Amino acid sequence: MATAPTTYSPSQALERRQQQQRRRIFKEEDWVRSDGRGFNQCRPAFLRTGAANAASGSAYAEFGTTKVIVSVFGPRESKKAMMYSDIGRLNCNVSFTTFSTPIRGQGLDNKEFSSMLHKALEGAIILESFPKTTVDVFALVLESGGSDLPVIISCASLALADAGIMMYDLVSSVSVSCFGKSLIIDPTAEEEAFQDGSFMVTYMPSRKEVTQLTLTGEWSTAKINEAMELCLDACLKLADVMRSCLKEAANAG
Amino acid sequence: MRDLQVTLNQTQRVRLQSAIRTLQELSSTSSSSAVAATVAVADVIPVNLEDGILKGHGTSEVDGQLMATLCGVVERVNKLVYVRALRARYKPEIGDIIVGRVIEVAPKRWRLEINFTQDAVLMLSSMNLPDGIQRRRTAVDELNMRSIFEEDDVICAEVRGFQHDGSLQLQARSQKYGKLERGQLLTAPPYLVKRRKQHFHHLEDYGVDLIIGCNGFMWVGEHIETGENDMLEDQENQLEKDGNSNAKPMGSQDEEKTFTPLETRRHICRIANAVRLLSALGFTLSLEAIIDTVKLSFSSNISIKDMLAAEFYVQTAEREVQRRVSSSKKKA
Repeated sequence: MATAPTTYSPSQALERRQQQQRRRIFKEEDWVRSDGRGFNQCRPAFLRTGAANAASGSAYAEFGTTKVIVSVFGPRESKKAMMYSDIGRLNCNVSFTTFSTPIRGQGLDNKEFSSMLHKALEGAIILESFPKTTVDVFALVLESGGSDLPVIISCASLALADAGIMMYDLVSSVSVSCFGKSLIIDPTAEEEAFQDGSFMVTYMPSRKEVTQLTLTGEWSTAKINEAMELCLDACLKLADVMRSCLKEAANAG
Repeated sequence: MRDLQVTLNQTQRVRLQSAIRTLQELSSTSSSSAVAATVAVADVIPVNLEDGILKGHGTSEVDGQLMATLCGVVERVNKLVYVRALRARYKPEIGDIIVGRVIEVAPKRWRLEINFTQDAVLMLSSMNLPDGIQRRRTAVDELNMRSIFEEDDVICAEVRGFQHDGSLQLQARSQKYGKLERGQLLTAPPYLVKRRKQHFHHLEDYGVDLIIGCNGFMWVGEHIETGENDMLEDQENQLEKDGNSNAKPMGSQDEEKTFTPLETRRHICRIANAVRLLSALGFTLSLEAIIDTVKLSFSSNISIKDMLAAEFYVQTAEREVQRRVSSSKKKA
């Protein structure tokens, strides 16, 4: 009885086999995405402003199973840096709920998200309009279902607009995953786990300016061009959805 | 105050919707130039740049087009085009009367929270001293600052001006300004408060003072005669007496002074609820509207707590419709 396990545990071998199978599927030329979308099709987006009462501006975004809530506080007096500065400060923080991922407490290691959110937004906000003060952006991921950062960034720019903060333009963001030869837009968490490379753009559509671009993995120039075109087109459409959400809120209130 | 949640039943919902629709129709007919008034960030504002327009707040020019940098309503005043943000913080102007809360007692100054992007500063030197004598402020005055205002006190003051670095200076150079006691502080979105000649109101019928601060902070409290408002003086005298080491214990007189009759308390709560209700409905907070709501609640026998319930919520909305219809008829 030496080999008998003391407690029950799921078979590791089975899981490994399943993973390999999935990886093989992703290697093929033609496969169907788990949610039945086409390769160039984004998940349906649901956006709402005014999700949190206490904040000066807030927004909720739901892209498929990815659910994010962003609250913006301020502009308020800088407590940390009391010294004089001509421009305002932007302070971003991204956190995950403990139940955001299938395995409890796994989403907490995304420390770089805060700084990436900061980089994506700071180019869009007119910081000169509120000297000596700070704007705090707090993003909370309720459920992490893939493409978290693009959703956070789009949602945050909506919350900033809701808070009445001067911006050059709305920031919309979309990511693309690379699988061998095929490009897949707006990947889910499962697809992100097996991707060969990822590409994310944050874009100000009316100004035609990119505020941030992230690229991981091996990419050929032609591939980058293709991904870029795909992303910019999706960003443009996403910005329209965001805009109509703001208009709706303005007319209702 | 978006946190007021009312649960309406079916008929109430229908009544409220029809009231809101009438209000919208009224506002769209009254302002004939209702052309795509709301804009989002980076929307193009349709203007003729050759007219020599002035670009105001919340706009910027990109590629020969005027773009909004805020979400809100486009306002045009002669040649000036600007965007009025729907949900923004209070923007002070010189001479505004504001209500604020002391958050810090700093050297020679108090810091106040007034719903502005920065804390406001009330200097000891821009305040009338309790003894009323114009003189240099001494170190002793500075040490006694906490006897005038402490942290968390609610204060009423006037906007004096801006400093070169954009921070806000207040002044309180009259008896009517100063510490507010025995009442309630209410907060509303600042855009609901219009600037008027008079922001201090004494409601004689109720024995209540109402201060409508331009920053959206409002004070409802027991009426205090300005002539008798020598509370500060008393404190000062008390201090001197303390110095003479004959501080007498709190007498019955002092107790009477800090006592508010139950009737007045009820009136304070009623007026406060009227303000809460109006701001939840998004109606302009004018004295007339507040008094009218209070009177309506009296005439229809609504108890104080029921003023925030569904039935009175709908009633107030319908009342506002009536008022606007009658005023538009008068004009016609």
